[in-house]
Amino acid sequence: MDMLEETLAMEDRMLAELVWLAPIGALVLGAIVAILMALFVARGRQGLVGAWVALAHLAAAGLVVAIWLTRGPARVMEGTVSMDGLALAVIGLIAVAGAVVVALARPVVAGTDREGEFYAVLTAANLGAAVLVAAADIALVAIALGMLSLTSFVLTGYLRSSAAGNEASIKYYIYGTVAGGSMMFGFSWWFGLTGETGLDAIGQSLPQAPTAALIASTALVVLGLGYKAALVPFHFWTPDVYAGAPLPVAAYLSVLPKIAGLVALARVLPLALPGDAAGWSTALAVIAAATMTLGNLAALWQRDVVRLLAYSSIAQSGYLLMGVAALSASAEGLPALVYYAIAYTASNLAAFAVVLAVQRERGSVDLAAFAGLGRAHPWWTAALILAFLSLLGLPPLSGFVGKLGVFTAAIDSGLAWLAVVAVINTVISLFPYLRVIAPTVLDSGEEQPAARPAGAPLAAALAIAAIATVAIGLVAEPLLTLAESATMLAS
Amino acid sequence: MMPLLTTAVALPLLAAVVVGLVPARAARAPRALALVTSALVLGALIATWARFDAGAGMQLVEEATWIPSIDVAWRLGVDGMSLALSLMTAVVFLPAILYGVGRRPLSRAAAALLLLLEGATLAFFLAQDFFLFYVAFDVTLVAMYFLIALWGEEQRRYAALKFFLYTLIGSLPVLIGIIVLFLQAEPNTFDMIRLASEQPLAGAGVGASLTFLAFFVGFAIKTPIVPFHTWLPAAHVQAPTAGSVLLAGVLLKMGTYGLVRVNLQMLPDAFAQYALPIAILGLFSALYGALVALAQSDFKRLVAYTSVNHMGYVVIGVAAAAAPGISASARDLAIDGAVLQMIAHGLVTAALFFAAGFILTRAKTRNLDELSGLMRPMPVYGTLTAVAMFASLGLPGLAQFPAELQIFLGTFDVYPAIAVTALLGLVVTAALFLLALQRAFLGETSDRWAGLRDLGARELGALVPLIALTVILGVYPRLALDLISAGSWL
Repeated sequence: MDMLEETLAMEDRMLAELVWLAPIGALVLGAIVAILMALFVARGRQGLVGAWVALAHLAAAGLVVAIWLTRGPARVMEGTVSMDGLALAVIGLIAVAGAVVVALARPVVAGTDREGEFYAVLTAANLGAAVLVAAADIALVAIALGMLSLTSFVLTGYLRSSAAGNEASIKYYIYGTVAGGSMMFGFSWWFGLTGETGLDAIGQSLPQAPTAALIASTALVVLGLGYKAALVPFHFWTPDVYAGAPLPVAAYLSVLPKIAGLVALARVLPLALPGDAAGWSTALAVIAAATMTLGNLAALWQRDVVRLLAYSSIAQSGYLLMGVAALSASAEGLPALVYYAIAYTASNLAAFAVVLAVQRERGSVDLAAFAGLGRAHPWWTAALILAFLSLLGLPPLSGFVGKLGVFTAAIDSGLAWLAVVAVINTVISLFPYLRVIAPTVLDSGEEQPAARPAGAPLAAALAIAAIATVAIGLVAEPLLTLAESATMLAS
Repeated sequence: MMPLLTTAVALPLLAAVVVGLVPARAARAPRALALVTSALVLGALIATWARFDAGAGMQLVEEATWIPSIDVAWRLGVDGMSLALSLMTAVVFLPAILYGVGRRPLSRAAAALLLLLEGATLAFFLAQDFFLFYVAFDVTLVAMYFLIALWGEEQRRYAALKFFLYTLIGSLPVLIGIIVLFLQAEPNTFDMIRLASEQPLAGAGVGASLTFLAFFVGFAIKTPIVPFHTWLPAAHVQAPTAGSVLLAGVLLKMGTYGLVRVNLQMLPDAFAQYALPIAILGLFSALYGALVALAQSDFKRLVAYTSVNHMGYVVIGVAAAAAPGISASARDLAIDGAVLQMIAHGLVTAALFFAAGFILTRAKTRNLDELSGLMRPMPVYGTLTAVAMFASLGLPGLAQFPAELQIFLGTFDVYPAIAVTALLGLVVTAALFLLALQRAFLGETSDRWAGLRDLGARELGALVPLIALTVILGVYPRLALDLISAGSWL
């Protein structure tokens, strides 16, 4: 009788807790209905599927807001899912940016076979990302990362006719499975050392494990998540995959999966290795320095703007990782990470949106294709310049407030040297960013007829991302407040 | 009471947006809009002057919430230095906009960039919040980059890139310094008035020193102090005329302003430690700038290097004021002189860069060795330029004389050797300007130059107010010194 009552009470509680999973549920529903729609909607009207998943994403964002306002954060599902401030903020970002990516993708995938399925897979990828940022249990982390990876491979190779896309997909897949496997191995080691899968429970005993085992297993975990985040030395796939994948997919990979990986790192390491056990803070700081430096230096030589953006996004991972590295010693680390992630997403999507528009009109993403853009398309050019200056970190754009945050966090946590490295990197990054900006206004290009007009969805995505790039810098308070409350919940 | 300071900053920024929306058909509208705006800005600042109480230090503070979670606010305020530099800025922008850059009439893009630059420089001099201060610092950088890159001379892209790069290298250490001050304040704040009065790093050894040096490097590049000056000749020579005018007249002062506002006011203990080496760097800049200028035959390069010389005096004055053991009266004298020198140099150098631009458009050369006897075909131009040159070499009765005199007198109290040696710079600048006058303006007028026409109305409109103010400040320096009154805010 007692057992039964206990079971019933637990079921009641879990039912009640389902409310917190509603945003994730919206994405699940979005993906399932999208698959069904893809089957039954006529080929010419598959854009409807896109509209549906965009709506599902926005619904997820709305549910995040509703939970935040009415329920507040909670650990649910026996502590395995932490719908805390961090998770809610980042799931909100995934939902909004996911809808923007749908709009970016629409002109590229429109009319291809299986267009509807593309949207379904994209939704599933965001589902994986959303679970990954909330997972407080290593088994759930592994499942979510697997889901995010598999769907990303599919998205990368979506245009079957593109040889570069196929190659990119295979490359991504091979690297990805190795990295994912390493993480699984690291997790199983942790499980062996502690007998637990919950991150808090692991954190109780893992720091007492033998040092060699601790460091080796942690390194394997960092490898798996660092691969998603394109951290050096796990970044090799990035330029090839971005250049080979359909451009909207490259845009997507450069923001959401990367941010999900970094947020997972920001949750897994401090919980499983409280304090600075195994010296992960220092290790991440060194990786951050290497990542930003290599990304910026490699970006210097690129003529292909997508490859340039790929290396730039590696460098940006380094700045983002500063926030994670600062977590163990500074309360500024987590808000800095969250705000930077939002600012970076807006700026990078705006940059990619203009590059995509240029590619569609001029058929190239070489630097030469940007000559004279200012005269032909003043608004695109304004958006491009603002996006790149924001990535550079110039005020009053959002990228500056982001950098202010991660620099402050690094200095506050005693990593002043890392802030100095980041400053030097910011100077280096001027060259690649200016190489794209300068020809748009200083060179005169040939007048080209618009081969394929940008179209309303792309224009909308571009406008949203560009306005966000400026607005969340000028009016930073709401998002900074949000980032401040994006704390992690211990069980 | 009307928020005059906010008006002075916001009006040009707003106009920069509005001018972008003007229909292309209204070709004269951008210039008219920019001129009216900058005249209103000057009006707002003169009205501020009328309200200003010179003995009261920082005042007329306008504050509005911006990012309360990190204590960033829209904080504007004036003391003698802020108000004097803002007034000078507004004065120099009017002729710069009147003369314009690029094609005529002024294009929408050019008008928007000039207005953006005016709003940002004023925000910089008026900001009492480090966030706003830094935003303004970097926005001027972007605006000036495009002004040089779009409308500069042959090597404009190289010069613009070099300018962007150096300024960025300078601005980032400043950002690090700001973050350290922010973190050290309890509770954390970007409020410059609080940071100046609380001095969170007072006496704190290595940390204070490093923070001081971070700020110093940033401001030294902007000023520029030798050996951080190598961007200056390229940028000044390649910039369009109005760009050089604003760069030398206004933007260089951002460096020395920062040196006083931040290094001297917020980190005086650290500054005391480094006062002597910095004074020596200032002296070196003054002498080096003068000697290199002596070797130039390009009018613009010559003026550019004299800027290094003149800004060197400012650095000497600021360093002397920071020196341990300086008497209060000598300190005030040195800072009053340094700020007056910033104002005077702003007016005089602006006039000289105009003069260099005017001759280039007529003679298609600025080479002083090629030019000769310009006084005959262009008597008005020759006379006004000669006055500007005399002012620049420090002739009594013109604006830079009282400024330099005060700097030397103040410095003499602690570093007599430096003060005396700095006088050598005066001798060199006197020689180089007299030589230039002799080469280009006096002597035989060759046939090549006989047909040059004298200044037109627009050029006179740009040049005459600057020269007039130079004379007024030279004859009656108290007009500015009573306003600056460093003793009330240091």
